[in-house]
Amino acid sequence: MNNLALKELLYKMADDQLILGHRNSEWTGFGPLLEEDIAFSSMAQDKVGQSLALYTLLQTLGESDPDTIAFTRNASRFHNCILVELPNQEYDFSLIRHFLFDTAEALRFEALTNSAYEPLAQLARKIRGELRYHTLHANTWMKQLGSATEESITRLQKSLEAAFPYALGIFETSPYEAELIDQKIFAGEAALKEKWLARIESVIHQTQLQLPDWKTLTPVYGGREGKHSEHLQPLLDEMSEVFRIDPTAEW
Amino acid sequence: MNSLDPRVSRLPQIQEPVSLKAPLDQFGTFEVFVQPKEGKPFQHEGIVHAPDIELAWVLAKETFTRRFTCTSLYVADTRDVYVSPLTEGESNAYDPIPETRESGIKKTYEIYHLAKRGRQHVHAGTVQAATPQHAMTEAKLQFNTGKTVYNVWAIANDAIRFTTPEEKELWLTLSEKKFRDASDYKGGDKLKEFLERKLIS
Repeated sequence: MNNLALKELLYKMADDQLILGHRNSEWTGFGPLLEEDIAFSSMAQDKVGQSLALYTLLQTLGESDPDTIAFTRNASRFHNCILVELPNQEYDFSLIRHFLFDTAEALRFEALTNSAYEPLAQLARKIRGELRYHTLHANTWMKQLGSATEESITRLQKSLEAAFPYALGIFETSPYEAELIDQKIFAGEAALKEKWLARIESVIHQTQLQLPDWKTLTPVYGGREGKHSEHLQPLLDEMSEVFRIDPTAEW
Repeated sequence: MNSLDPRVSRLPQIQEPVSLKAPLDQFGTFEVFVQPKEGKPFQHEGIVHAPDIELAWVLAKETFTRRFTCTSLYVADTRDVYVSPLTEGESNAYDPIPETRESGIKKTYEIYHLAKRGRQHVHAGTVQAATPQHAMTEAKLQFNTGKTVYNVWAIANDAIRFTTPEEKELWLTLSEKKFRDASDYKGGDKLKEFLERKLIS
């Protein structure tokens, strides 16, 4: 098994979960209603938990311990897509990002339940309930707000259009696509993107929202190879602020 | 008033000298019932605010089953819950309910008992009845053991958003989320250790 290919896959997945988990946790205490605040915060915790599970797999492949990996790398060494590092803006944007990203993530893990790398397959099977909840939560809000009032529909549509080129960046291919597919570790980004578009479209069609004409859009790539927006480093500085005061402290 | 602070924009508008009291700008409520363990009866846990029953179910999942064990949950619109009078002391809520039977097309009602004041309503069983009132009568005939019940609820089964068998996997990893419990951080022990170290030095 090609460890470089596997590590690249694990790093980008773990970094996506950690960064979006942190971003979504910024809503804690500010959510639009108490129940939603709790639900969104819980899912943010799930994401950080999933990143820990993936960093732990990386540790078994010879990488540093999860805390060191999560808290001591600079932005250029993170492999998350740019979508997850963008600032929260208003809640409609966070909901759209949640919908677009979590749909992709759920499909990715679904494909990985049959991965030839058994520890990852096991993890994918274990967290399927969490992912089912995340996509159910996202889809239910989409269907509700996507057909509710003129304001809710206009806001979601605007955010959908703004987020879409970044969402396409989730599927930036790795240099190891062919190896991952050959070795049956992962079905590859192209296959994932196709499934994702179909799933996104089926939800959007149940609302008054319009799917952006994605073929005319230029995907925002770069994140997977460490080329990030100006928003990631400040996020990392804040996230690791306490850790850096005393890296050996026991929590 | 325009402000970036959402609390400011939520402030009430300055009103005309006399006007009707505005309705509350908030979602309706839904009653949440949780099954803590396989085989245990569902119990009432509280309410959530939501625009519809589907979102109520989604939000109830994290609001009420974030920490403690759960195998299933369901929700019903508060307006679909029929309640008997609330009693005290030795007085049984079933006593004033008439025992006259009604005819008509029957459907299934879920029945809940409040066995102790200040506790939760717990599922007692199901009855077939033509109306909510009739459901109370059927409940009295079937579930009144003479032991004091302080309040009885009846909810039509078809008004409830249940958990589907596939959705039961939502709680698969719940037992591992110890980090959500403050006691898991053993803050007291760590503080004690710290103070002891301080005393020694």
